[in-house]
Amino acid sequence: MALDALSDVSDEALLVAYGNGDRAAARALTLRLTPRVLGYAARILGGDRAEAEDVAQEAMLRLWRQAPAWRQGEAKVTTWLYRVVTNLCTDRLRKRRGQDLDSIPEPEDDRPGAEAGLQETARARALDAALQTLPERQRQAVVLRHIEGFSNPEIAEVMDIGVEAVESLTARGKRALAAELAPRRAELGYEDG
Amino acid sequence: MADKAEKRPLDEAELDRLFEAARSAAPAPSDALLARVMAEAEAEMPVAHVAPAPPARRRGWLAGLIAGVGGWPAAAGLVGAAVTGVAIGVASPQALERLSGGYLSPGGYALENLMPSYAGMLGEG
Repeated sequence: MALDALSDVSDEALLVAYGNGDRAAARALTLRLTPRVLGYAARILGGDRAEAEDVAQEAMLRLWRQAPAWRQGEAKVTTWLYRVVTNLCTDRLRKRRGQDLDSIPEPEDDRPGAEAGLQETARARALDAALQTLPERQRQAVVLRHIEGFSNPEIAEVMDIGVEAVESLTARGKRALAAELAPRRAELGYEDG
Repeated sequence: MADKAEKRPLDEAELDRLFEAARSAAPAPSDALLARVMAEAEAEMPVAHVAPAPPARRRGWLAGLIAGVGGWPAAAGLVGAAVTGVAIGVASPQALERLSGGYLSPGGYALENLMPSYAGMLGEG
């Protein structure tokens, strides 16, 4: 696979190349972006793997369809794509609210087990559970900032809000997480306070 | 959660370690999902751009003639040769008559006798 040859090429250049019929660019973008959007969708949707896969596939499909009209320098591919994922997740969560709770599948957990570090796994699980207790917008902002690594201006673009609103959402979200996880200090390997 | 209020909230560094753990525990996409995404990419992929051939232009008779003799460089050669021939004919240099000897003027005709109108017209000879 010629993925190494394209690892230095930006998402934007790859998308333009795909728009010009470059198959290798399609493969590179698929392998680069699908894991990211899947991980983000899974966290926002609360661990429903099948639903997260549907969202990831739909977001990527919209990206392929956007390619012919894409102009380099106008936007970042990741910002555009995460915005699509965020909106798709919001739609799904809205529909879910009208559903019977029992019809929603339990979150699947296919993370690596003991060999990858029980403590790390326990921490990731505890954080995911605590994230689900946050209001949706706080959850989005915290995940985008602290797990996906976006800057505040980028998050503002993804969420279609101002930078100050992003700062407020992440600050409130983190305070809520810190309080939510306080009783689980021992489980997380932290000393009791 | 009676003990929730009694516990100290996690500090910034403790939260950061949780975020770090979450980053490394991101779910990996299944091969089936990657295959579906790639299949859609190929289905939606625009056809590779190939520069369209310029439309064939109608050529005038002169362009056709020039192309027939090998293009403008060849035409320039032909014109040069024709002009040289005319110049030689008009000037009828002695050397040429000597060279051609009796062949060109077997009955005592000079070269200019073959084309008197040229000589008369140009006032030479």
